[in-house]
Amino acid sequence: MNKQLSLRDFSLFIAIVAIWAFFAIISPSYLGARNLSMLSIEMSTTAVAALGVLLIIVCGHIDLAIGSGIGLFGGMAAVLTTLYGWPAPAAMLVSLIAGIVVWTCMGAVIVSQRIPAFIITLGGLLVFKGVFWKVINTSTVPVNLGGESNLYSVLTTYYLPSTYGYLLAVGVTMAIGWATLKGRASRKRHHFEVEEPETAFYKFMMKTIGLFIAVTVLNMYRGVPLSGVILGATAVGIYVLTQHMAFGRYLYAIGGNEDAAMVSGVPVHRTTIMAFSIAGGLVALTGFLQTSYAGSSTTSVGDLMELDAIAACVIGGVSLKGGRGTVMGVMAGALIMASLLNGLTLISAPPEIKFITRGIVLALAVWMDVRLNRK
Amino acid sequence: MSLDLVLKAEGITKSFPGVKALADVSFDLRRGEVHSLCGENGAGKSTLIKTLSGIWNFGTYEGSFFVDDTEARFSGIADAETVGLAVIYQELALVDEMTVAENIYLGHEPTRFGFVDWDKMYKDAAALLDHFGIDIDPAERVGNLGVGKQQLVEIVKALKKESHILILDEPTAALTEREVDILLKMIREIKARGIACIYITHKLDEVFAISDRITVLRDGKTIATLQASESSKAEVIRHMVGREIDDLFPYVKADRGECLLEARNVSVESDEGQKVVRDVSFQVARGEVLGFGGLMGAGRSELLMNVIGAFGKRSSGEVMFKGEAFAPRTPQSAIEKGLVMVTEDRKRYGLVLEQSNGFNLSLSSLTEITASNGLVDVNQEVSRNEAIAKQLQVKAPSLETVTSTLSGGNQQKIVIGKALLCEPDVIFLDEPTRGIDVGAKLEVYELVNALKSQGKAIVIVSSEMPELMGLSDRIIMLSEGAVGGEFDREDFSQETLLAAAISASENRNSGETHE
Repeated sequence: MNKQLSLRDFSLFIAIVAIWAFFAIISPSYLGARNLSMLSIEMSTTAVAALGVLLIIVCGHIDLAIGSGIGLFGGMAAVLTTLYGWPAPAAMLVSLIAGIVVWTCMGAVIVSQRIPAFIITLGGLLVFKGVFWKVINTSTVPVNLGGESNLYSVLTTYYLPSTYGYLLAVGVTMAIGWATLKGRASRKRHHFEVEEPETAFYKFMMKTIGLFIAVTVLNMYRGVPLSGVILGATAVGIYVLTQHMAFGRYLYAIGGNEDAAMVSGVPVHRTTIMAFSIAGGLVALTGFLQTSYAGSSTTSVGDLMELDAIAACVIGGVSLKGGRGTVMGVMAGALIMASLLNGLTLISAPPEIKFITRGIVLALAVWMDVRLNRK
Repeated sequence: MSLDLVLKAEGITKSFPGVKALADVSFDLRRGEVHSLCGENGAGKSTLIKTLSGIWNFGTYEGSFFVDDTEARFSGIADAETVGLAVIYQELALVDEMTVAENIYLGHEPTRFGFVDWDKMYKDAAALLDHFGIDIDPAERVGNLGVGKQQLVEIVKALKKESHILILDEPTAALTEREVDILLKMIREIKARGIACIYITHKLDEVFAISDRITVLRDGKTIATLQASESSKAEVIRHMVGREIDDLFPYVKADRGECLLEARNVSVESDEGQKVVRDVSFQVARGEVLGFGGLMGAGRSELLMNVIGAFGKRSSGEVMFKGEAFAPRTPQSAIEKGLVMVTEDRKRYGLVLEQSNGFNLSLSSLTEITASNGLVDVNQEVSRNEAIAKQLQVKAPSLETVTSTLSGGNQQKIVIGKALLCEPDVIFLDEPTRGIDVGAKLEVYELVNALKSQGKAIVIVSSEMPELMGLSDRIIMLSEGAVGGEFDREDFSQETLLAAAISASENRNSGETHE
């Protein structure tokens, strides 16, 4: 809705450039094709989870159970595939449904019993962690047996052949171009402010060039990773949901002023529960990606990912009070979190430094948000 | 100054954009007297209080006032407190989780070597409460006290600051009768100590029970200052309402059609289990404006909010809408059936302030502009929003302007526009002109008449009597949650309506004297 480029958006861009420059100086391979490819896969897990929690935070709640859920549903699919010999797609489908059902139940309890989401999902964090360990019997369950690949194992190891990568980029470019033209025509018809044609064109060209550079770089390694495509599809889906459907408006209305939303005829309960349902689905999806990336389900999969997801939202400008936040912001936030973690791993920073850095970056981001909003 | 004046205000004039809230008001207060301020809502009572207590800084009003012969030039409440003037507002400013003593000394805790001296605090608090003859344990948690006792704690807290002028702004609005008695007794005691009180209330019984003098304000002017002992309730009411209703209210007559909404013996309990509406029946037809009057807290908003499914529990009675039993569980289903409400508190219940005007306008009717593919049809949305904004003459740079930046009147138009976009048959308007300027008010009145002529049924709640009488075809006065009287247009008069508004407490009082 807000089309103008704010200082805030700009600051995210600067942050990303700064982080990349920092790590590139210490370790030039940071910006190599291989590492950027890894980074895009790592970002996809954080970002998918963050997009789910975006819906929950925008309508004024919070979700602390994401990390445990990621472990649980990923582990569930792994157990069904490997120990019970289910086909991977069936195992993932069942786990996905389980994720949706469990999160729907949490949403329903929060809404109908008026218990703060913080408490219910904090309980969920512990309960799901316990159930998760029970499900995998606190052991290591691989996502595929004997190196035989299946849909589950290729989630983060499959790359589009380079031709398909370019075709995808062309398709996306055309879609962006079409949406831009249509949006401009519509705004003109209603006499809203429209960007100068040149500005719009430059913006479009920058997106196109950026996209093609990204695909080219990824193709220099193995191609566009499947998980990147999954993230893209998820982001488009959540974008449409939040910006172009009544459901999205309701989310922002509830987060902005729940009483007014209720009196205005917004189905407050249904919308809130639905936000949890979708988030549950995305938690399960993140679980598959994360477990697949690890190669097997172990007790530590998903640890602290709720905090990475929430941090990505907050860094991306999502208000924890609800009512404010965009998909683009969350994507940028997730990229910052993933870039940090990836870089720290690359320069072999010890885990304690990783924790400290993530914490400081999060606090800095919130401090900046407060500062910039005050003006 | 003669007669031991502790406060004297001369020629106070205070203007807001478009409104003159106070015009050349004079007021004085003697040592040890209780001086009541009476007037309808909007007469200027709270503006006067805010001026005297320093909320409106020196220089933002004309005229001057003197405290103890010194001209007061306050720039903030703290200045007023320094010269011994304290205000107790209707909304309590106590911390529920703290004890009585902690509340009394909040921000002024006695310390010893930098630590809070708890023993001294509780001893002093006990002495202070004892001094005023109040039987409250200083170690009690404030949340455990009734509202009345909380009010007393609040007063003690104010007096602890060595105030000799006390302003009480509707202190009894939420009190039971027993608590009112305690409060009045306490006021008599502090009065005997030479403390002067300005007392504001809607309840004339209290005014005559406690006051030495009464000043009536109307339309921001001092109408009369009376000796309580030589005056009567009737005289005060006459001064309060005594104005001709002018053409501000262009009443139109419309054909009364079928009855759309009928409520029979509806009683409502709040979520806390308090009975706020008792046994109210009403009906409203196409082409008709039904007015609900009464004092604040008479249960008008609660009744309407309950009918649309937004408030409390309906403990008895039934509502028929278009001939069918009607008990919506959420406002959503009421809107779907064709009943919509424009709520009183637009910031709390009306608007998502940080979103755009367009967002707010279409919020209630998004399902109607959602295409079969599930996407909101933006073109249709913008066209509809533009049309309604034009019809209501919303003055805003654009539909994309953030609503919080608009003036009160234009915000109110957004709320009304949102309701009209639902294409309702019945519209509830709760205080539709509160806090908006005269020009916008007139536009709202004209809109009400237009909707009525289109055959909509309208229920309007207003605390402004002239407005209510000017617009309504019929008026029901509520008094403490029950119907105090129902009047047809030809029987409207401010005296009878006001009498009906306070009938419940009158009945109770006369009932008690007979027992």
